[in-house]
Amino acid sequence: MLVALLLPATLLINAQSALDLRINEFLVENDSNYIDDFGQHSPWVEFYNTAYNTVNMGGLYLTNDLNNPKMYMIPKGDPITAIAPRCFLVFWADGKSEYGIRHLNFNLKDSKIIALFDADGKTLIDKIEVGNIHKKDITYGRVHDGSNQWSYLEKSTPGSSNFTGTVVTPAEKFGQMDPSGTGMAVIAMAVVFSALALLYIFFKQSGKIQSGKSKLFNRANKKEVTTAPISEASGEVNAAIATALYLYRNQLHDHENTIITIQKVARSYSPWSSKIYGVMNNWPTKTR
Amino acid sequence: MEHSSFLSFVGDHLSQFLSYTAFANFTIGHGIMMIIGLIFIYLAIAREYEPLLLVPIGFGILIGNIPFFPGLKVGIYESGSVLNYLYFGVLQGLYPPLIFLGIGAMTDFSALISNPKLILIGAAAQLGIFGAYGISMALGFTAAESGAIAIIGGADGPTAIFLSSKLAPDLMGAIAISAYSYMALVPVIQPPIMRLLTTNKERLIKMKAPRAVSHREKINFPIAGLILTCFIVPTGLPLLGMLFFGNLLKESGVTKRLADTAKGPLIDIVTILIGLTVGASTQATTFLTSKSIGIFVLGATSFIIATTGGILFVKFFNLFLAEGKKINPLIGNSGVSAVPDSARVSQVVGQEYDKSNHLLMHAMGPNVAGVIGSAVAAGIMLGLLY
Repeated sequence: MLVALLLPATLLINAQSALDLRINEFLVENDSNYIDDFGQHSPWVEFYNTAYNTVNMGGLYLTNDLNNPKMYMIPKGDPITAIAPRCFLVFWADGKSEYGIRHLNFNLKDSKIIALFDADGKTLIDKIEVGNIHKKDITYGRVHDGSNQWSYLEKSTPGSSNFTGTVVTPAEKFGQMDPSGTGMAVIAMAVVFSALALLYIFFKQSGKIQSGKSKLFNRANKKEVTTAPISEASGEVNAAIATALYLYRNQLHDHENTIITIQKVARSYSPWSSKIYGVMNNWPTKTR
Repeated sequence: MEHSSFLSFVGDHLSQFLSYTAFANFTIGHGIMMIIGLIFIYLAIAREYEPLLLVPIGFGILIGNIPFFPGLKVGIYESGSVLNYLYFGVLQGLYPPLIFLGIGAMTDFSALISNPKLILIGAAAQLGIFGAYGISMALGFTAAESGAIAIIGGADGPTAIFLSSKLAPDLMGAIAISAYSYMALVPVIQPPIMRLLTTNKERLIKMKAPRAVSHREKINFPIAGLILTCFIVPTGLPLLGMLFFGNLLKESGVTKRLADTAKGPLIDIVTILIGLTVGASTQATTFLTSKSIGIFVLGATSFIIATTGGILFVKFFNLFLAEGKKINPLIGNSGVSAVPDSARVSQVVGQEYDKSNHLLMHAMGPNVAGVIGSAVAAGIMLGLLY
């Protein structure tokens, strides 16, 4: 039952993991563009973490051949492979993996495709054809980070956002569109009322059901009352019931009758209530 | 010679020490803030206005406004200082959900469940938030700042801190102080508005005693409440999730220890930390600005609009209700989520006109609905402006 519920859920829910990584921008012909850590102009590819948590690329595979998905395994354990939320990591596709973990063992110039595979070496996370995209020093990338729209980019942005225009925050946009706040009041009040109206409807209905039940109970109780009216019980009976209830609630004695139980009274120690060191106890006693 | 150099050494270090003292760094701003802190402490102790909040905040204001030489990791805004670490919970919005957990564990929603239409009053009172939003936009605050300021109208300190930490962290101190101040002043602000907007006949309306609520209904409430509200406003999840979770701990009957912790030691600890650090965040250098004054004015405005909205809504609602089922508009003020102060105000004002009219339990309905409503409103603001 639980498995049946969880299985479709796992297919539907977009987990925040390596599957959230995207190839975001790349450059094949690097003539005078970004310089690597060895001072060389090499082809490069940038990855973007679309998730809102840190994703580590260690253990994932990069390749330029779909038939050989495990061509380059990104080494595990290096903190540099961890990409912060909504951030970027650049690899040099120069075929010089001896230069470091960010240098791949294949060259983008000789590649038709670049692909990222999950740690199982089977699950394709993302791929992009690079064969015909060879403009010198002009990068090809997603217009907005992680989006599906690709284009030659006006500016090369390795390690940073592809969108280089002025970012307008949702608040700024909202403020520009609704300077008087009327829109906000209408939208927000509608939502608040909807949310609380839902609660109202739910509890009104459940209340009706409940009161329906209580009517039934009342009928049952009434029947009981007719068979044993309270007025028939004598004062002694009522007193006995009340006493029994009182004793039961206060648990004055054990269940065994005719046995007196002396229960220990636990008191936490305090020098102010000590029987050993009390002032009165140490008072000199008169001797005759 | 040696003697004189030693004297100059002592003199130099003494003067250096003096430069570290509060006397050397004291400004009029610090003095003003310290007076405000003392007023808070006075109101809390002498007048018993929200003492659990105003004592920590008032003392926090004193702590935050003892002048000091910067760079010694003393101030709340200095990275690595103890106060800065404690302030982390405010900045990251950590404390407010924990307070909501405690509120959930100590709140009895029976009044609301027994008379669900009172929920709508809690919704109507949120008008104050969005009214104040428009006014603050007109006064030149940005949309994000306006959202953070307007939430004061919800009369919910933790929600105000939570939202301002996201939308306008720079204004958080002023917003929190303003929210808590007006919450403390509920018995002063609301009664005149209530008297102004109601007729004598309306004030004398007697409402039916709420029906008994079953244990099952009480358990259903937090579960249904969470699903119904958070499916619409998932951004309110940190607050609403904890509120309803705390309430389930209380009502389930099998997690008494957890409920006791949530409504006892946990909420006490967090209240101490949030009150003290919010108070300490009001350093004169960052707090005494024209914006802070604007925030106080807007806070009062939003409170007045919220109270008005709640009362007028009840009057409007009564037009559709049959005689005998009408709602006393004096409970309309309770739509703001200052629990239980505004409900208490309904009771006190109601008693002024009819000693036999007990409105407290009826007013608790919109009051706790206001808690939910303000958290939903905060979620909407967060969704639209963050």
